[in-house]
Amino acid sequence: MLTAAKNQLRVCLLSMKYNMMREMVNKVTFLTNVCFMVLNNASILVQWIILFRLREDVGGYTFREILFLWGLTAASFGLSHILFARAFSLSDLIIRGKLDSYLVQPKNVLVSVLTSSTDISAIGDFLYGVALVCACRPGVGGFFLFLLFTVTGTAIFTAFALLLGSLSFWFVRMDILQGQMVMGAVSFATYPDGIFEGISRFLLYFIVPVGMAVWYPVHVIVSFHAGMFFAVLGYACALSVTAVAVFYRGLKRYASGNLMEARM
Amino acid sequence: MGKYGDKSVSMNIKGVRFRPWRKYAVIYRSVLMENLQYAANIAMGFFSYFVFIFIFIKLWGYMYRTPGELIAGYTKEQMIWYVMMTEMMFFGSNAASVAGEVARDIRSGNIAYLMNKPYHYTLYILSRYTGEWSIRLPMYALLAVVIGTVMVGPLPHFRLTAVPAMAVCVVLGLTIHAVFKLCISLFSFWIEDATPFQWLYDKLILVVGVMFPVEIFPKALQPLLKMTPIYTVCYGPAKLIVDFSPEKCLEILAAQILYLTVGCVLMSLIYRKGVRKLYVNGG
Repeated sequence: MLTAAKNQLRVCLLSMKYNMMREMVNKVTFLTNVCFMVLNNASILVQWIILFRLREDVGGYTFREILFLWGLTAASFGLSHILFARAFSLSDLIIRGKLDSYLVQPKNVLVSVLTSSTDISAIGDFLYGVALVCACRPGVGGFFLFLLFTVTGTAIFTAFALLLGSLSFWFVRMDILQGQMVMGAVSFATYPDGIFEGISRFLLYFIVPVGMAVWYPVHVIVSFHAGMFFAVLGYACALSVTAVAVFYRGLKRYASGNLMEARM
Repeated sequence: MGKYGDKSVSMNIKGVRFRPWRKYAVIYRSVLMENLQYAANIAMGFFSYFVFIFIFIKLWGYMYRTPGELIAGYTKEQMIWYVMMTEMMFFGSNAASVAGEVARDIRSGNIAYLMNKPYHYTLYILSRYTGEWSIRLPMYALLAVVIGTVMVGPLPHFRLTAVPAMAVCVVLGLTIHAVFKLCISLFSFWIEDATPFQWLYDKLILVVGVMFPVEIFPKALQPLLKMTPIYTVCYGPAKLIVDFSPEKCLEILAAQILYLTVGCVLMSLIYRKGVRKLYVNGG
């Protein structure tokens, strides 16, 4: 059991390593992608500088808390696209019947699928997120909390994408909806929860998992709250387990596309 | 390359009148018909538009604390309608896919096949782009009007008689946007992937022109911003929709014509230089 897990982990790490090496063949393109993604993210700070010129707080957040919000969203989104980029295009694999090459491998299907691709520009997202939080001087404890919540945020974003992507086993055109729902969640995550109220706030905390991926963690980093801390951990675990269960349930319905494909 | 397509004048070959622009009209019509078939798919993109608008309604709802308050000379309703209009142009044009198509053509070598056709490649792309937004934009415009009327309320002082002038400004704005995005995509002739430059251009348009009107920026920056494409691509058309005046309309139209001319010359120059750099392996 332990040996099997170790082997699986080794295969995952090798898969990620080769994904990276493949993307780094052209070093100029690689560096341009990473650096420009950092600049791209940094340019959005203009929006917040403008808004904070108008008011002292936005949605109850200070400028520093907005930087935490952006840092955590960018780092979580970035890490999920570095490690598990395929989860965000899973619908396409299912709809086009491209899962065959993963099914014949003597390794865990889901892990092999998730780690089979890396989004290089996401390295820029991740670096930007870490740099932004460091610039806010969160202290040692705050920084460790940030790292922990980056992991839970990565799990939540990936599980959310996996859950939506797995619905393609039952419904067509989920590829469009998957992309839009995930990007919608990220858009919500970059604004403070204080501007939303009523039913929209409830939906954003429990259905679209923005509250648990980003808002609660930011509140905990700014001022520690044990209830929120454990709620985030519990939600990340519950959503991940649900997403994995839905994927395997759907896999039973998978029909091959008779597509000849080699994975190299 | 563009052997026939470059000639904009009509020619008379053996008594048959030959109109070079006709082929672009055919390309436009074919893309239009193709997009009509996929109107339902386009409608699935409404969700993203709604998310953006919903966030901005909530955000500006928070920023405007008292009824009738003005920020940079805009009421809350005008500010939200401004964002709705700029986002409508952004979502309704889908210039990103056109720019992506050019980059893919160059990277894959498919351009070698397309540039030998009896049309100018850049005009072919612009015809396809126009065909795409001719379906998308009216759909998004309708959605914007519905969302705006239901969630924000009607736009105060909106002049229905000025709609044709607004429409001309919107069309010119979309075309200028596509020309500049095409220019950036054509850099793929030199660098393998011009996408990062597209991100920066898009973010500049988004942050400075789509989310906020120019008046919200510090006074010292405003003249500078009015000299960038932002003024002609999104600020100008959206400003006319929320606060129309004939003088402003003429000023924006003049700026747009100037920008379009400069953009087209630039695009043509980059394309000519770029195809000389093209090296395609057989296959």
